Amino acid sequence: MLDEPTRILIAAAICWMNFMAVDLIFKLPESGGVVGATAIAQQVEAGGGHLNGGTMMGNIVSSPDASAGTLLASCGVFCAGLFGGLFAAVLVYIGNRVCYDPGYAGTTGCITATFIVYGATQIGFAASDFIAGMVIAILTIQGISYVHSSRLIARLWKIRCRLLRGCQ
Amino acid sequence: MIDVVMIASVALLIIGMVATIVNRDPFDKLISLSVLIAGVFPFIIDRGYLDVATATALIAPLSTIFTLMVCRRERA
Amino acid sequence: MIAIYVCAIIAVYAGLRVVVEKNTMRKLPFLNVVSFAISGTIALLLPHPLTILAAVAYFVGSTLESNAIASTWAGGIRRDD
Repeated sequence: MLDEPTRILIAAAICWMNFMAVDLIFKLPESGGVVGATAIAQQVEAGGGHLNGGTMMGNIVSSPDASAGTLLASCGVFCAGLFGGLFAAVLVYIGNRVCYDPGYAGTTGCITATFIVYGATQIGFAASDFIAGMVIAILTIQGISYVHSSRLIARLWKIRCRLLRGCQ
Repeated sequence: MIDVVMIASVALLIIGMVATIVNRDPFDKLISLSVLIAGVFPFIIDRGYLDVATATALIAPLSTIFTLMVCRRERA
Repeated sequence: MIAIYVCAIIAVYAGLRVVVEKNTMRKLPFLNVVSFAISGTIALLLPHPLTILAAVAYFVGSTLESNAIASTWAGGIRRDD
C-alpha cells in the first residue's frame, strides 16, 4: 500500500471535503449561533476578510461542529473501532448541548466520518492518518490566513446557495 | 514519552507562560493561559491518568468562566 | 509515528501564531487549532477506550472556554457603546 505521508495527505483531503460539505449543508456561514461567533465574524471582516467566511470560522470556534465531529470520530475509531466512533458521536451531541447549540451539524458530521474512517481502515488506511489529516485540514481553514480562508468559504457558500436553495 | 511530543509540550508551556506574563489585556491573558493549559495535557496522558486528565479538562474552563465574571464586572 | 509528529508540530506553530496575533478576537481561531492538535495528540499517545472520553472532555472544555471569552468580550464592547 502507499507510504504514510501520502496516506496522511489523502486523508486530509477526505476530511476537508467531509466537514466542509456537512457545514455548508447545515448553513453554518449564514448566521452566528452565539454572540461570540458574530463578534469574531465582525473582527475578521474588519481585518479584510469576508463576513460569511468569518461567521463560519466563529461558529467552528464557539461550538463543536462537523470538523470536531470528524476529529473525534477518527479518535474513536483509532481507540475502539466502529463503536468508539458512535460513542464519540453521542459525546459530541452532549458537548453541543453544553455550548448552547442544536447539535445537528456536529452529530451528523461525526456519524458520517465514523463510517468513512471505518471504511478506509478496511482498504489499507490507518485511523491515525485521519487524525493527522483532520489536524492539517483545520490548519488550512483556521490557521494560515483568515483573509484567504474566509474568502474561500464565501465562494463555496455562493456555490452552495446556487445549487441548493433555501438560503437568503 | 516520544521526544518530539515532549519538546512540543514544553514549548507550548513556555510560550503560554511568557505570553501570560507579557500581555496587559485581561482577555489576552486568559487566551495565553489556555495555551499553557494545553501544554500540560500530554504529560498527564503519558502517565496514564485518564481520570485526572478528564477532571482537569472540565475544571479549567470553569475557572476561566469564574475569572470572566470578574472581568465583566470591571468593564461594566 | 509521523501522525503524532504532525500533531505536535502544528500545536507549536498555532501556539506561536496565538502569541503573534494582536487582535483579541482573531486569536481564537488559532487557539482552536491548538485544541484540535492537542486532542489528536491525546488520542495518539494512549489508545484506550476511555481516551475518547478524555479527548472529548478536553475539546468541549476548550470550546466552551473560547465561547465564554468571545461572548464576554462582545458583551463588554456593546455595554461600552
